Amino acid sequence: MTYLQQPELQDSLNQLLLASRPRLERVLRHFEIPPEDAEDILQDAQLTLLYKWEQIRSPESWLVGTLKKKCIMYWRKRRSSLCDAVDTAILDLVATPVAPDQEKAELSFDLNRVLGNLSARCRSLLKLRYGLGYGPSEVAEQMGYRLSSIRKVTNRCLAALTRQLVAVGFHREPTDD
Amino acid sequence: MIDRHPTAERLVAFSRAQLTRSQNREVVRHLLKGCARCAQALAAQAPPGIGVGHPAPLSRDYDAAFAKVREAFLLAQQEHLVEQQMAPSLLLALEEHPFDRQVLLLTNSRRFWTWPLCCLLLDRSHELGFKEPGRALDFARLGVRLSEQLSVESYGDTRVADLRARAWTTLANAQRIGSDFRASDQSFVRAERLLRKGTGDPLEKARLLLLKASLHGDRRRFPEAIKELDRALAIARRNGDDPLVAKALVKKGIVFGTSGRTDDAIDCLREGVRGIDPKSDPRLMVAAHHNLIVYLIEGGRLQEAVALLEATRPLYEEMGDRMNLIRLQWLEGKIAQNRGRLSEAETLLRSVGTALADQGLGYDAALLAFDLAAVYARQGRTEEMRSLAAEMLPSFQSREVHREALAALIVFQKAAKMERVTLGLVHELSDYLRQCRKDPGVRLRDSL
Repeated sequence: MTYLQQPELQDSLNQLLLASRPRLERVLRHFEIPPEDAEDILQDAQLTLLYKWEQIRSPESWLVGTLKKKCIMYWRKRRSSLCDAVDTAILDLVATPVAPDQEKAELSFDLNRVLGNLSARCRSLLKLRYGLGYGPSEVAEQMGYRLSSIRKVTNRCLAALTRQLVAVGFHREPTDD
Repeated sequence: MIDRHPTAERLVAFSRAQLTRSQNREVVRHLLKGCARCAQALAAQAPPGIGVGHPAPLSRDYDAAFAKVREAFLLAQQEHLVEQQMAPSLLLALEEHPFDRQVLLLTNSRRFWTWPLCCLLLDRSHELGFKEPGRALDFARLGVRLSEQLSVESYGDTRVADLRARAWTTLANAQRIGSDFRASDQSFVRAERLLRKGTGDPLEKARLLLLKASLHGDRRRFPEAIKELDRALAIARRNGDDPLVAKALVKKGIVFGTSGRTDDAIDCLREGVRGIDPKSDPRLMVAAHHNLIVYLIEGGRLQEAVALLEATRPLYEEMGDRMNLIRLQWLEGKIAQNRGRLSEAETLLRSVGTALADQGLGYDAALLAFDLAAVYARQGRTEEMRSLAAEMLPSFQSREVHREALAALIVFQKAAKMERVTLGLVHELSDYLRQCRKDPGVRLRDSL
């Protein structure tokens, strides 16, 4: 590998970053990335470019493509963090051992009402998860899924549940019953 | 009954999964009660796919983000450049020691734990590749060891995972070249696992696929090799990486050629050659042309082969690499043989044979001997054939020629003694030896 000389490398990199800024900014706007989070995403993409410089043949396209991918990943991560937060909270709520009977009944009623808006498949899956405290392998066995695919199905159902919670009054989940 | 609503700030924090577990519980419990007001507020903040489109950012001004990134980038750049400058001298310092000591140094001495040194070790392994497979393997092993020492805090966990994957890929390739296919397979599995933890850079994946295709090709698993190459090609094309496209096409051509699809090989290599920049990758250019000439000869397209060889000759000479010059002469011998200029072919092939023996390349010398035998068979020179067979066997017994290849040579020697060598037998044994090199498990035909 022939490394570029220091000043050459610095110049090429700096020129590239200046020249590509409008395109990078367009990507951030297109994906509506909050400016407070844009810093991390941009920095990650640019540092990767720095370390992989010798391997990358068309740096500007690579940088723009990488930024796009990181923006998609950003929203995907935020979605899954939110779904995880909802799931953990519900698991905590149903597992609270000392909750008075009335509270338990109210929780069960509210949960069933929300689950009632989901597809039959998600409703069954989440009832097993929250109502009976089944783990993924038990849910898979009960519902006839392979263990390898239950995670994906569960994630889809959690997303549907989260959508229901945050979008009351906007839409109903499509149901298959 | 709807109890106290969470504050707007808390809802924003919830949408970003930034609340504590108990705060989360409170918000979710509130939402489960069906609070439309909070749900609607949240829907505007939640990520797309959950809420209603993208949450509206408070500001669209990215100036501050760009300024901060630039500051951090310049700092990292300075550090990287210093490390890059020091890498060659670190490599020299490392090379002063025997391999075991090198491993120890890389494990224990922090001054070696730099990204550019790791890249340098891996590049060195690639460069040595077929020239010095043993050293290539050592460099790859050192690269793997060093990649495991790199700080994820300094370089970033996903980037380090990419580099570790590259190190394992390089090791897999060095193991393949050394014909340790099982180890190579396992190293590729490690590399793929690491790549899944990496940045998701598709070009890293494409490079891995290219080398994995070579392993499939060597194991004569041609459909798998073509599949991997097509995937690599698709990634390279999608990312506008023309040199990678060219490399994948050249490899695909070679796989087609090895699997006997000569016409497809020629088409693929021609397309690949068009995309190679000879200035930036002269080695690939020579390799592509060399294989193209071989398949043109095999396809009986001698005129084209000769024209291409003449056009490529300056590049072979410019490279000055001894092995390339030997290969060039071998091609000239084959062309002379195919044109019926048998005494010219004999002179050229004999000279190549001597050069290969000098280089200690027993297997290539065995293959070459069969080309020479074909010349004798066409001339009906049974006496020369007998002495060629007699010369070959003891020479190969003392070299790294494996059992199955030796068996082929013995068959040849016996047939020569009995004056029963035909051109067909020579071709068959030569093809067999070529297959044996990649797959020692291949058996000679029962009828032989």
